[in-house]
Amino acid sequence: MGVPLAEALLLPLRGLSTVNEWVLRVASTIAWISLAIMVVIVLVQVVFRYAFNAALPWPDEAARFCMLWMTGLIAPLAYRTGNFVAIDTLHAGLPKAAAHVLSLVLLTLSAIVLWFGIFYGWKHTFGFGGNFNSSSLYVPLGWFGGETIQVKLRYMYGSLLTGLVLMMSVNIELILRELVGLVAPAAKQPKVQGLNAPVDVQ
Amino acid sequence: MLVWFLPVFLVLLVISLPVFFALLFAPGLLLWLNGQERDIALLYRNIYNGIDSFPLMALPFFMLAGELMNRGGITTRLVEFSQALMGHLRGGLAHVNILSSILFAGLSGSAVADTSAIGSTLIPAMEKNGYTRKFAAAVTAASSVIGPIIPPSGIMIIYAYVMGESVAALFLAGIVPGILIGAGLMLVVWLLADRYELPKAERIVQQGATISNVEYWVSFVLLRLNLVAVFVAAGYGLLALSADPATYAVAAGGWTPWVVFAALLIPAHVYLMWLRGRISHDFRVVCKKAVAPLQAPIIILGGILLGVVTPTEASAVAVAYALFVSFFVLGTLKLSDLPDVLKRSALASATVLLLVGAAVAFKTVVSLSHAPEALASFILDLSKDPLVLLFLINILLFVVGMFLDAGPAIIILGPILGPVFVNLGVDPLHFAIIMSVNLTVGLATPPMGLVLFVASSVSGERVETISKAILPLLAVEVLVIFLITYIPALSMTVPRLTGFAQ
Repeated sequence: MGVPLAEALLLPLRGLSTVNEWVLRVASTIAWISLAIMVVIVLVQVVFRYAFNAALPWPDEAARFCMLWMTGLIAPLAYRTGNFVAIDTLHAGLPKAAAHVLSLVLLTLSAIVLWFGIFYGWKHTFGFGGNFNSSSLYVPLGWFGGETIQVKLRYMYGSLLTGLVLMMSVNIELILRELVGLVAPAAKQPKVQGLNAPVDVQ
Repeated sequence: MLVWFLPVFLVLLVISLPVFFALLFAPGLLLWLNGQERDIALLYRNIYNGIDSFPLMALPFFMLAGELMNRGGITTRLVEFSQALMGHLRGGLAHVNILSSILFAGLSGSAVADTSAIGSTLIPAMEKNGYTRKFAAAVTAASSVIGPIIPPSGIMIIYAYVMGESVAALFLAGIVPGILIGAGLMLVVWLLADRYELPKAERIVQQGATISNVEYWVSFVLLRLNLVAVFVAAGYGLLALSADPATYAVAAGGWTPWVVFAALLIPAHVYLMWLRGRISHDFRVVCKKAVAPLQAPIIILGGILLGVVTPTEASAVAVAYALFVSFFVLGTLKLSDLPDVLKRSALASATVLLLVGAAVAFKTVVSLSHAPEALASFILDLSKDPLVLLFLINILLFVVGMFLDAGPAIIILGPILGPVFVNLGVDPLHFAIIMSVNLTVGLATPPMGLVLFVASSVSGERVETISKAILPLLAVEVLVIFLITYIPALSMTVPRLTGFAQ
């Protein structure tokens, strides 16, 4: 009885897994590049302040911009690769089927949090406050003969929203995985490619 | 009504919900039940505002610097240096393990990095030298908790941010407690060494080692500069104590310090050349090889102490220095290694940043709910004596540390416990150190000690076996926790002397 159900679940799981795999690969690449840019920006500020005695107005905000997007774009990968901190004593001690059921309950709770997060994130990003211009950031297209574009606050607000949407996608994939694990423990699930060694998260 | 969010939160944690979701679900649910839907939007905005912070940026940067240094192969250098200093003692390699942890702590803010780096080098070496593997793993795990206590420190950055303390002051306050734990562990090893006849080791691992030209000259220059800096600091310190302010101002102003600095280079050089004749070639090479890595903590702390840079800027400078050392001085890192290093640091810090954001949101609900007041009156019913209460809180923290990692624990408990004890008259800085040290030691306590798991995977020994072997070492760490609790001067003196705390 479990087999056709498992088949029906495996198909969307494979599709979603592939999508997540690729989207998160791109997202995490942008994230580590953001980290590199952050370092450069802060160093530029240090040099300008102490060597030239002329602090620049934009590095503080620009570095925060990068950090926000770094967080939003790579946190979903951390969620997918099981790097979110949890006390899993109870989960690890349960028999297999019960552990799957517990996981489904937990993933449902997480989905509720993410759902509300996306709801309020959408309002936050596309609401009134996001219309304002950033205080120091603009794209100086004037240098190339174009028009200077002011960075709007919503370009920053969007980082957390994007992160939550991607985490929701991961959350759905994880729910499908637990369902398949419950009805057909022997079924071969798509692999999660992420990092080759455990990451140090304290 | 809203007070119930704490029990709900604890239940969610116990049934294994990730801390990030639990931090948001519990307060969100209670706000909703309470009909305060508007405040849920506040919850969301506080997550965002919590992450959007410049001081917090030190976290990803220090992680990155530590990871870069580690990949660049500095661990072996630190271990060989420690061995040259302490290897000949009875129980030599155990002492070396502890000293390496202290040195490594100045570069990295994480106990896990410490365990895996030092453990993978020293546990096999200790086994070869005649130690049991469980003892080697236990010493590694116990000493690695020094990592987040001696600056830089990830959990102190988090605590300072969530609680509105100064990162620099917390960093400085951690130095003495960290060294105390190291000294305490060495004392135990020394006592055990006589009882179990722990072996000695060679001081020099590799005879006739060579050093590359670049590294030779880099450490040549750095050594002299540091020595002169010590001279100058000592000189100005004496002058500030003895001479009248006017003389001091003249001596410290304008070009004078630079002239003094340049002039002192000559005696520094003469002294080092004299020293060169008195020590063996191998010993000298080992020391020279440790100079470039050990310059990193000097840059970080020196920069912060002199007020030249903020902790965030210091962390960015540390990244630049780590890149310089591993690419140009040691030549151990390839450009193609960089993406992986960056990605791992980004991932690790993103999870922590999300947690911090959630904690800031959680904290607003904590204050909305009047939970601290309820908790304070409960605690004050137990006893009115701050000393007794500190004892009780240490036990609570220790128990929490057994089950939860230091970072999440400090994020959750800081906002709840901090205000209670500050109102009782405990200095916020002192309380921060009590929490940080206690919860960090919790990383090495069974049953749920992150460091124990890492030590187990590095050594191949079972967690249960290591847990038993680590008990005498943990006893000393508990003793140090109580010393720190009841002698505030241990943590407060350094930040006070340097003007970072009243």
